[in-house]
Amino acid sequence: MKKLICFVFLSTILFFYGCDGGISPEAEDNRPHDAAGFGGTVSFKGSWPQGVTRTHIVAFRNPLVSAGDFNALNLAFVSDSIPFGVSGIVYSSLVNPQLQIKAGKYAYIAVAQSKTPALSLDRKDWFVAGVYYASGDTATPGTLVIPENTFVGDINITCDFNHPPQQPPGGE
Amino acid sequence: MRRILILMLLFSGAWNVAAQTGTIYGKITDLKGSPLAGANVVVLGTTTGTSTDTSGTYRLSGLKPGIYRLEISMIGYRKSITGEVELRKTPVELNFTLEETALQSKQVVVTASKYEQQLSELPVSASILSSAEITNRNVVSLDYALRYAPGVNMNMDQVSIRGSSGYSRGAGTRVLVAMDGIPLYTGDTGEIIYEIIPVTQIDRVEIIKGAASSLYGSTAIGGVINVITKSIDEKPQLYLKTYYGLYDHPSYKEWDWSGERRPFNGQTLTHSNSFGSLGYVVSFTRSENLGYRQDDYYKRYTGFIKTDYRLSRLSSLTFLGSYLGQNRGNFIYWKDSRHALQPRDIDQGQKVKSNRYMLALMYSNVLSPDFFLKLRTSYYRTRWLDETSSHDTSTTGLLEGELQSSYRIMKSLFVTSGVEAGSGKVNSNLFGKPGSFNIGVYLQTELKFSFPLRLTLGARYDFSRLDTLKGFGSFSPKAALNYALSENTSFRASVGKGFRAPTLAETFTSTTAGGIKIKPNPHLEPENSISMEIGINHRFSSFIASDIALFQNEYYHFIEPGVDPVDGLVTFRNLTRARIQGLESNFTFSLIPERLLLSANYTYLWARDIEKKTPLKYRPRHQALASLNYYSGWLEFGTDFRYWSKIEALDFELVDLGVVTDGDKRVPVYLLDFRTGYNLLSLGLPGKVFLNINNLLNYNYIEIIGNLSPIRNASLSLEFSF
Repeated sequence: MKKLICFVFLSTILFFYGCDGGISPEAEDNRPHDAAGFGGTVSFKGSWPQGVTRTHIVAFRNPLVSAGDFNALNLAFVSDSIPFGVSGIVYSSLVNPQLQIKAGKYAYIAVAQSKTPALSLDRKDWFVAGVYYASGDTATPGTLVIPENTFVGDINITCDFNHPPQQPPGGE
Repeated sequence: MRRILILMLLFSGAWNVAAQTGTIYGKITDLKGSPLAGANVVVLGTTTGTSTDTSGTYRLSGLKPGIYRLEISMIGYRKSITGEVELRKTPVELNFTLEETALQSKQVVVTASKYEQQLSELPVSASILSSAEITNRNVVSLDYALRYAPGVNMNMDQVSIRGSSGYSRGAGTRVLVAMDGIPLYTGDTGEIIYEIIPVTQIDRVEIIKGAASSLYGSTAIGGVINVITKSIDEKPQLYLKTYYGLYDHPSYKEWDWSGERRPFNGQTLTHSNSFGSLGYVVSFTRSENLGYRQDDYYKRYTGFIKTDYRLSRLSSLTFLGSYLGQNRGNFIYWKDSRHALQPRDIDQGQKVKSNRYMLALMYSNVLSPDFFLKLRTSYYRTRWLDETSSHDTSTTGLLEGELQSSYRIMKSLFVTSGVEAGSGKVNSNLFGKPGSFNIGVYLQTELKFSFPLRLTLGARYDFSRLDTLKGFGSFSPKAALNYALSENTSFRASVGKGFRAPTLAETFTSTTAGGIKIKPNPHLEPENSISMEIGINHRFSSFIASDIALFQNEYYHFIEPGVDPVDGLVTFRNLTRARIQGLESNFTFSLIPERLLLSANYTYLWARDIEKKTPLKYRPRHQALASLNYYSGWLEFGTDFRYWSKIEALDFELVDLGVVTDGDKRVPVYLLDFRTGYNLLSLGLPGKVFLNINNLLNYNYIEIIGNLSPIRNASLSLEFSF
């Protein structure tokens, strides 16, 4: 009987050793990327503020050091609107962007929200819910570099409504 | 001063007890004289009890002088109750020998024929899940437990017995799930909401395989799952259970959407008692799961009440009530295989709120030793609301009733007959405001011959109507036999017709879900089947038993969702002429008598659309299940291994339409679960602690398209019974 138990046990070990881990992610290389872009996740913590009419991922070329830096020329990317109330999304700048990004260097990537009924480019109408930080440095906004014909992943942003990030100058 | 008073009280109490109490002690052994550790010793009529230690000895102290009876029990041994023992001040020594019960299949009783029969006498295949099998696995919802039943596979929350069902996202079921005989399908979608069944109150789950429409009517086309709740204890009892668990990190960095181990937990509180003719049990459960997938969380509250009022020695009135309140996310399909634990952008933030309750009243009366009557009525109300932009909602009330009589006309002839009716009303933006009505009458006779043959003949006629549509009738006959070839071998065979009426959801749904437009089809007809089976049950010895069945099911007018080529919209249609053939084999081994038990099952399914000559969706061809359990005194270990071959077909059209990216990804499945339990009676506490690790190998697999099944998770549970 002991031999039988040992046989069953060893057979089981060998059987599982021969198994792989099941379903695995499709390799990124197998996916078509004919344009430069970036992507990652946005996660939301806490309750969404009431009255928010639109939420977008935005990218600016230069740092926002004054109210004047919040302008259409500095703005390089605007994502499709993020649905109100979600706990998180996976995004790609290549999918339905309102303003397409190009290869280059970007100093400020953020999730911005607005409460105005109509789309506005006035700095006062926007507040920042979350900022992209590189390598865990939450003191300085992270810089994004997108090489030509390259998709940069892992640009993850956390929006904590209970602890919003430092707001760029010019807001209310 | 207060401390002194307390000390005085304690001291005086101790002295008092020491002066007026006695002790019963002794040793419990098996027939070979070996001591049995972990045997339970309970003083009947009290809550006093203990367990034997590693040398098989026990000691019950603090008993007042009087006359007592002891009950000694242990898993794998026949329960023993002593005669009356008079206890005075001097200790009394009582030694016992417990008899091994080996494999206990003959003692198992099932209600497949709407009255109690021994499992070995059934003319159809059946499996039993015991209360311990559910509790030891820390199952929080019955659908999880069904995954461990032979011949059963779950496609997410849709149960399939021997390949009866694929996956239709909750619209309809081909297996009738009932609680104490009360059907639990909802009035709108016809789906089973497993969470409303209180798992801690389950005594056993009976799974009847093959068409059972001749007795149970529509939806029993693939079989019946009857959940039998526990009977009410005569002694006051308080039961507490709590558990906490965590999902591990996913196997791949790309999937780690939250960056944390996601927790789940739950608590159950149950109280039962009896006063004279009235007994009751009340149970409340809260459970929460943050989900290993984004937007796949839930928070639920369930309540259960059962009262049993004995009107006379032979008649009783039972009331059952069950409630479920739930808020949950709604994960529909993954974004793609690189984001397998996150929903598509279009489905972000989906959540559903629901409230459901079921009330039932059952009356039974044994009018004579040969004639008994049962009457039951139930009302099942469900309401759910999609709290996202669609605001889809449905409120349903389903009233059901059944009158059943069983009459032993002569020693060799037993007749069961009855009438069952139901009426439903729906108010929904998806289905409109239709009503439904059905009525069925049935008659079944069991003939016992002088040679060991039992012949069962039965038939049922059902009439169903959906709202103002034309009604339809269905006649479902069945013939079955059980022949005891010897004391250890029985042969069975059956042939019967099954049917399932289309549900309101399948007929009237008009919506856009997950990017797919669904249109109603008022021309749907019932689907039918002819189910055949032969089987043999054989006990090779006290320690090895087997059961093998060959089956064939022919399905006509199978209702399945499909794309209408005229307008490209999805609708439910009577599409498929299907055939499912197969073999199911079950073996049970007692490797080390009463210590090490192995059960193994293999099911082969050949499931084909015989017109298109294509495999049916979501029916794995090979399925295997093995459970190994080891009991050693206070400790127990168990492991389950489940395998099923790669699903040959799933909803490929969703992949072609671009609805589910990487939706064709599927694999053969190898799952290993592990559990261990420890009886805290060894520490003087009336409880148990369990550690469960599910999907130990963290194997990544799907049950339905674009939905990664639970990753490795571990939970610790504690239960106490006072």
